[in-house]
Amino acid sequence: MGDLIPIVGILAPIIGVPWLILHYVTKWKLAPKITQEDENLLDEMFNLARRLEDRLNTVERIVAADNPDWKPATPAIHPTDYDIARRN
Amino acid sequence: MSSSRTKFYLDKQNSKWLGVCAGIADYTGVDVTWVRVGAVMLSFFGGFPWTLIAYWLVAWMAEKKPYGLYDSPDDAKFWQGVRSNPKRSTAEVRSKFRDIDRRLADIEMMYTSRNSRLADEIDSLR
Repeated sequence: MGDLIPIVGILAPIIGVPWLILHYVTKWKLAPKITQEDENLLDEMFNLARRLEDRLNTVERIVAADNPDWKPATPAIHPTDYDIARRN
Repeated sequence: MSSSRTKFYLDKQNSKWLGVCAGIADYTGVDVTWVRVGAVMLSFFGGFPWTLIAYWLVAWMAEKKPYGLYDSPDDAKFWQGVRSNPKRSTAEVRSKFRDIDRRLADIEMMYTSRNSRLADEIDSLR
């Protein structure tokens, strides 16, 4: 039993640590990944959504300026920094 | 765009030594200080030669982060989300489109309902 302790002490860092690392590497490899095409598509969609939102903000501002009784349903999740009543 | 945004890169621009910790921080979105503290702690408590070997291996194998990979900090944050959970990021983009649709519908509704009111008033004048 006394001889076993140093062997375990040597084996634990030599085998245990790479095991731990490889375990997480495999887990990471198995995680959902997207392909290059998916990535390009997502990039385009994200940029498109952002541009559309910008345009819609402008349109809402114009409409609100022309019709004072109309209030745009501004999303609560993205607080915008522009004032709806502002007119250029 | 030519370079992938879902790959691991060495972040030489924010590096202390070879840019591995900064790269991990950039990849995961964890603050770079915590990544470095974690790496040093791991080296102290048991993993001494292995962390250094892993660091060198990563530094040797990974590519450098290209300049101008992201247009804005917003962009960088979005791609960090994609790397950790692509499904959630796609859902976020979809919800953005739905939000736009809803707001557009509001505007459309305002114009169509007002025009019908106007038509009613014209009818009553006849």
